[in-house]
Amino acid sequence: MTATISDTGTVAVANAEKGKRLRTAGKLWQAGGPLVIFIAMFAVVAILTPAFIGSGGITIVAASAAPILLVALGQAFVLNIGSIDLSNAAITVLGAILLAMLLGPLAFAAPIVVLAMVTLFGAVNGFLLAYTQVPSFALTLGTLGIFKAASLVVSGATTVYVSQNKDVVSPLYTTQLAGLPLTFVLGVVVAVIAYLFLRFTRAGVGMTAIGKNESGAIFSAVRTRALKIVAFALSGFMAGLAGMTIIAQAGSASAMGLGSDLLLPAIAAAIVGGTSISGGVTNPLNVILGALTIALVPIATAAIGVAAEAQNLVYGVVIIVVVALTLTRSRTAIVK
Amino acid sequence: MAPTQTSESPADVKVDTAAIRAREQVTARRVVFAGSGEPLALIGAMVVLIAIFSILNPRFATIENLQNVLNQASLPLIIGLGATFVILIGSIDLSVEGVMGASGVAFVLLSANSRGGQDTGIWAWVLPLLLAAALGLTSGLIYTMLRVPSFIVTLGMWFVGFGIATILYGTDAYPELTDDTITLWVAKITFGLPNVFWVAAILTAIMAIVLRFTRFGRVALAIGNNEEIARSNGMPIIKNKIFIFIVAGLFSGLAGILATMQMGGTSNHIGDGYLFITIPAVVIGGTSLGGGKGGMFRTAIGVLLLTILNNGLVLAGVSPSYQSAVSGAILVVAIVATAWPQRGRLRIAK
Repeated sequence: MTATISDTGTVAVANAEKGKRLRTAGKLWQAGGPLVIFIAMFAVVAILTPAFIGSGGITIVAASAAPILLVALGQAFVLNIGSIDLSNAAITVLGAILLAMLLGPLAFAAPIVVLAMVTLFGAVNGFLLAYTQVPSFALTLGTLGIFKAASLVVSGATTVYVSQNKDVVSPLYTTQLAGLPLTFVLGVVVAVIAYLFLRFTRAGVGMTAIGKNESGAIFSAVRTRALKIVAFALSGFMAGLAGMTIIAQAGSASAMGLGSDLLLPAIAAAIVGGTSISGGVTNPLNVILGALTIALVPIATAAIGVAAEAQNLVYGVVIIVVVALTLTRSRTAIVK
Repeated sequence: MAPTQTSESPADVKVDTAAIRAREQVTARRVVFAGSGEPLALIGAMVVLIAIFSILNPRFATIENLQNVLNQASLPLIIGLGATFVILIGSIDLSVEGVMGASGVAFVLLSANSRGGQDTGIWAWVLPLLLAAALGLTSGLIYTMLRVPSFIVTLGMWFVGFGIATILYGTDAYPELTDDTITLWVAKITFGLPNVFWVAAILTAIMAIVLRFTRFGRVALAIGNNEEIARSNGMPIIKNKIFIFIVAGLFSGLAGILATMQMGGTSNHIGDGYLFITIPAVVIGGTSLGGGKGGMFRTAIGVLLLTILNNGLVLAGVSPSYQSAVSGAILVVAIVATAWPQRGRLRIAK
């Protein structure tokens, strides 16, 4: 900080060099990081518990990765525009509860109705964000509270079981494709579509532009407000799909049950999958690897002899460490 | 809030100082009014709420219930004091519930409890608080040294704290405090108010003094107001920020211990729901999420307002399931209302 005038030049050059190194490191991480982490994680599990991998363990991992993957893909869209959605896991639970209640009366129409509703919930988040310009973490923290209460109220604070027409969604879990449950295949298909959308459509590229440089995007006539609403709506939609996989697997939902702790694993999956929290960088295909890695965490911690209770601690540490390692920093920017 | 200066014009310059003085006095009055207008409005809202709830349920305005409200408001207030400091520098602390869980479980296991552990006396207080401070310190260090945004650091730290609580808790039966003197102390009434509220009130006064009259507090305000100027003026920004996160951790930890005492025992979930009261309370108190503006008494008013609202709704027959929606909706409305005047087509909000 106390560089004299003659030093400033060298400091600037050194900084530029450092910046270049950091960017290359960032690109390397983008290309191979998620895969390397996944392989390392898989190796740990395979070596320590060979029996698990042999005896249909992969099916179990894929099944538990499916809801994480879907919520993480939604989160990746929101992170890509430089915001964060703390409410999407709560939307998953609410969606699952609504689906459990509506499957009886509406049968095949129920998933469509529920997906439309959760997409709308997400869009409301996006609308508030785009038009009132409040920080997304505070806004979605508030709506998280609202969705949580909605789940409690709608379900009457008990577990809601699917009464009839269970087989409308349950084949998603029971059908297997090459040993993988259809729920996971659904996640992969969504990831591929998301990849194509982000890379090859005007809207997708516009979203990435918002994340990279919002002012630039505005001046380039990118419809930033509309795209923000779309990103949050997609987050709600994918959270709803995750809710559907939960109903397919468990046949019931409750405000405190399966899915209520998806927030952290999903953020971790998106970040381990190479998504930047400052926006503009994501690859949905890598998020698949991120979700699989995160789904392996409980198994890996058990394999190395750490109690299963340590899961949350591991998720927390993973998020902090991966973000700290991959964050692009500038010397002068103010970090809040 | 801002101090006003009355400058003396030099004697040798012939200026009509009377007009300037009159103008300054008007400005000074306006500043005083503008500073107290918001808190007064909140107190007004509180009075209206109390009136409505008293009509809805006569039990609301009884002494017992008001003591109950103060009892409920104490812990969010204690957490809110730390949270206010963090929000004043423009950051956020989401780790509250995790830190509470970690310190609460540590406290119960170090005290005489139904699991048969040993009473470690003063260490039952010191070690959990040290743990909480260590969690705050870690957040502060990662935030300042590695320059990771505070919301993501503390989101991770929330689950680290929760994980520590879960591991400490293990799989044994729910541990209850067996020493009645500890559990009864918090709700005991001294001079008409519950003890736990006295703790919160004294801490509020101390923190208000720290914020207003110490270098530490003034630097925190300066950081929130304009970090770049604070830095170029040579203020100890990093030290200040780290210390603020330690303080926030300590207050969350203390709240975890007091919550355990109130419940007479604890699980790793002891902190659940507190984040949802604290952050909306700080924000409706008028402490801006952008930093630099706000104060401890404002947070106290915000906490009381929210607690009265929640308590009154329950007494009016509204299911407690709605509680998080009330806090959530208030948070959304409060941040939207504060951000409204600053909207602009070219403004960036993440």
